[in-house]
Amino acid sequence: MSGAALDRVFREASARIVGALAARFRDLALAEDACAEACARALEQWPATAIPDDPAAWLYRVAFRVALDSTRRSRTQQRFASILQEAECSSDAEVEDNHVIPDERLRLIFICCHPAVSVDARAALTLRLVCGLSTQEIARAFLVPEVTLAQRLTRAKQKIADARVPFEVPGPEHWAERIDAVLSTLEVAYAKAHEDGAGTGVHAHYAAEMLALSQTVARLLPREPEALALAAIIQFAEARRPARVSADGEMVPLSEQDPRAWDRALIESGRHYLARAIQTDPARPRVIQAQIHRCWCQRRSLSEAAPWPEILELYDRWVATRDSPFVRLNRAVVVAEVNGPLAALAEVDQLDGEQLANYAPYHAARADLLRRAGNSGAARSAYDQAIALVTTSAEHAWLVARRDGLEP
Amino acid sequence: MQYALLVYEDESVFGPGKSGPKLQEIAGRHMAFSRELGARRLGGAGLKATSSATTIRTTKGKQSVHDGPFAETKEQLGGFYLIEAADLDAALELARRVPLAEDGAIEVRPVHG
Repeated sequence: MSGAALDRVFREASARIVGALAARFRDLALAEDACAEACARALEQWPATAIPDDPAAWLYRVAFRVALDSTRRSRTQQRFASILQEAECSSDAEVEDNHVIPDERLRLIFICCHPAVSVDARAALTLRLVCGLSTQEIARAFLVPEVTLAQRLTRAKQKIADARVPFEVPGPEHWAERIDAVLSTLEVAYAKAHEDGAGTGVHAHYAAEMLALSQTVARLLPREPEALALAAIIQFAEARRPARVSADGEMVPLSEQDPRAWDRALIESGRHYLARAIQTDPARPRVIQAQIHRCWCQRRSLSEAAPWPEILELYDRWVATRDSPFVRLNRAVVVAEVNGPLAALAEVDQLDGEQLANYAPYHAARADLLRRAGNSGAARSAYDQAIALVTTSAEHAWLVARRDGLEP
Repeated sequence: MQYALLVYEDESVFGPGKSGPKLQEIAGRHMAFSRELGARRLGGAGLKATSSATTIRTTKGKQSVHDGPFAETKEQLGGFYLIEAADLDAALELARRVPLAEDGAIEVRPVHG
């Protein structure tokens, strides 16, 4: 087995193993350490003894025993007495028979996104424990120094241990808000992937991880319309990646992307997830958002008219379901196409400028509308504000080109 | 596992010196809540207004005594509960039910040991 293939085995197995051990021993840190120890031993032993037929099962067995030993030795043995007893009774028999590692990934995801975990740690923790991404990879994706991200992860895990955040799937009373926290965390994590439009840089692998993670969550929550919808959204978005950046390194807006460059297989998969979401509840915000994506992805060529009226209708439904300045802003961009830039500007001017002050797309949208309305001076200053806020070179290049193309 | 539930609210809603009908009403609700908690309640108390507080501060080994709470804040510590709960979610469930006069916050902090 190649080094890369082995790496993949470790990653995929780790999430399941950490989840299964955390469920059994009620201790996330213990589970992680035991899993890491098992992987370290595998790296030592397998070159000499040959890779086992079922490497994941081997890792699980070893990790289980490491966790058991660690619990026996631990100072808090008293507290773990009942857990130890349970684990010892079933351990050998069950683990030998169990080719299938118990899938506790859902509990793992819920604990990573628990309200007690700081918001800026949730995505990182999920990526680390569920996707098996290294601290370095996550730090790169989030554009923070590795040591900062490592501290963030340590603090989050410490909080989970100190406050004894339970390793459980939430009950019905808090289910909806906890699901929303998970999905919001995935959205934050995905936003990082989205920034690398060309998909060839360090983020390409990351985008693939996000595709897989969102599908995993959808499969673990098959009756949750918004989980299905988010998986669909990410697939639609990833399908369009090849068309997102021009040969000159400029961002290409959605309406100008050549649909022939889009990945039809991913779009088809997205439609499949979305169909199931609609069957469950078509009125949820993310389900509507996914329909907007699907609407765009139905386009076959640039010669086909852009589906602006249909998109506007969907935005109207979205605003009616979940109103926010960000949704209204995106809607205004569509209003410009259907009712002209002045109508759209009127909408944008009603938005809370303070809340959107640091949001690059707000300034970019205003700039574009002002330009089309003939107000070059105001457009230029809005472009400047947007340029100051964007973080990718593709967006930067596009905005600079637009600004420099203004009438003096 | 033990948790402290620290009750923060703007004590001015209870009037000067924290007395009167509003306080009577909330005290009654706290008593009812304490009964609900039963054996899960290990301790707790309602505190008099911060105007009754005196603070001993230690700076570089020197102690000094001041009139007033340790800091002037918009919301003040008004009381606390010490509870037994299996985990944070169980503690949070109880914390959600702590009576407040109006707006406020319940800080849930695990106890050492």
